[in-house]
Amino acid sequence: MRKGLSYGWLSARRRIREMVLPAITTAMGAFLVVIVFGMSDGIRAQSASLGHAEEIGRAVVLIAVTVLLVGVVEVAVATTRTVARRTRELGVLGANGVPRAPVVAALLVEPVIAAVLGALVGALLAAVTGIVLGAVGLVATGVSVEGLTLGAAISIGVSIVAALATSIVPTWNAASRPPIRSLSAGG
Amino acid sequence: METSQVSNAPTTVRSPAIATATGNTFVCLVRFALANIRRRPERFVLSVLGIALAIACVTVVRTISASFAITGADSVTDVLGGAQLWAVPAAGVHYDGSAQALVADGAVPTLTVPAGWTANRVLSGVTDINGSTVSLRGSDQTVSGQATLGSEVANRLGLHLGDRVVVGGQSLVVNVAGSGQSVIVATPLARSIVGDNGWWVIFARPGDEKRRDLGQTFGDAVGLDSTSDPSVKPDPNGSGLIYDTVGGSGPLTFEQKFSALFSGKVTSSTLGLISTIGLGLGFVIAVSSFLAAVQERRREFGIMSSIGLADEVLYFFLVESGIVFLTAYLVGVLGAGVAVALVIPGIATPTAWLQASGMVAAFLPAMAIVGALIPVHRLLQQRPVSLLGDR
Repeated sequence: MRKGLSYGWLSARRRIREMVLPAITTAMGAFLVVIVFGMSDGIRAQSASLGHAEEIGRAVVLIAVTVLLVGVVEVAVATTRTVARRTRELGVLGANGVPRAPVVAALLVEPVIAAVLGALVGALLAAVTGIVLGAVGLVATGVSVEGLTLGAAISIGVSIVAALATSIVPTWNAASRPPIRSLSAGG
Repeated sequence: METSQVSNAPTTVRSPAIATATGNTFVCLVRFALANIRRRPERFVLSVLGIALAIACVTVVRTISASFAITGADSVTDVLGGAQLWAVPAAGVHYDGSAQALVADGAVPTLTVPAGWTANRVLSGVTDINGSTVSLRGSDQTVSGQATLGSEVANRLGLHLGDRVVVGGQSLVVNVAGSGQSVIVATPLARSIVGDNGWWVIFARPGDEKRRDLGQTFGDAVGLDSTSDPSVKPDPNGSGLIYDTVGGSGPLTFEQKFSALFSGKVTSSTLGLISTIGLGLGFVIAVSSFLAAVQERRREFGIMSSIGLADEVLYFFLVESGIVFLTAYLVGVLGAGVAVALVIPGIATPTAWLQASGMVAAFLPAMAIVGALIPVHRLLQQRPVSLLGDR
């Protein structure tokens, strides 16, 4: 298993350019989640003027988390792309008798790295933006540090879980294919 | 000269026609697209999931804004009750979320009603009945000892015709009329609770109801400014403002403009911003997954373009992206319906959800077409040889 992970890490380093788009989309989602949590007081004040403050507040959190999930789905799309391009490599691994679990672990390294990187970058950007906005005084209601921390924790947790959950099916399918089929495939 | 008989048989024999599939072109395209989807089901599921989540976001926000628009239209209809003009105090009026009705923020403007016009002074404020915040209005038409409740507020308070209700320390008989969210009592009682806050609703002279200059005429007669735009707020240092619900240019009615103010508040708020970003992300996912498909099927498209199919490739992609977006739309809209029913049951109504679904459907064709055009453009830039060449 450890060899699988280090193999995955090596190949992820080679394919760092492929991970840019999924990382950016995840970062965008994480940015929104963290900002929404950090500025929850301001959003609550804004929703109070519309009435139904409590429900609107819940809807904002729901929508921010949904956008984060949208960002993470891109990670899974990138995984299917990776798997399709590495079909022959997987065939070689299978033909050499490498069991399924390390192969799946190796393939999952990349989505997890993309999701974590994206979430971290997004959370960091959001924290910086929030603190700068708070310091400049653009946000009248202030930015809460606890909110930012909570938002960062939620965004990182959600993106890792969602990236794993959406990527596991394509990788599992690819690793379960008979080696002869993977080797003879066009890609 | 000897002649030989010319054979009537044709010198060249046409090859037998290629058997055509039954069904029309569109069905063939759909079957081709479905076959491609079956080849990579996980990618189809993922792109549908991504777009569906994005569509669900937008639908939730649009549902909220549509239900606010309905609330706005209802609340102003409740105030006007068929009147043509509405004279509000200098301090303005606001929508009270807990009372679910429009409430005056200042004293009724003083005005002397010109001859021929009918003007009703309505006192307005909020009070507490049985623990709920309720909009209270005072009217000269209501007899003392009686409280007229709109059916919605009667439902909210659990009161029926003939019950008794205590307002401002007085026990009143409940009369249910209309559909509004306000409790209407006699003027003296209302004044003891809300003071002089309120507004006038003004009916034009009989026969003049449709005139476009009613606000101007009445405003000149009583010395107040008039406008047909509900977004204009009265001057706080002035003596009030007349909203003309008949005049003004443009096809929208006053009620529609008023409700647009309400829904605009939602779409321009944080919610609207976030959901728009979500929709953008969903679109990125669709395009990126189509591009991945192009990358994988280069040889297939190389064969197609080498036998002269160039425009047809666009149709393949259009049908495929149409199927993806349609499925995502259905999943997203249904998901949003479940989400709003669970998370914000107090705001969302089925009507608002349907309106929102309709509005979101308007984005789809454009997104589906652009989503198909980008990969096709990428393909058509390359020569068949290069498509066929690399593996």
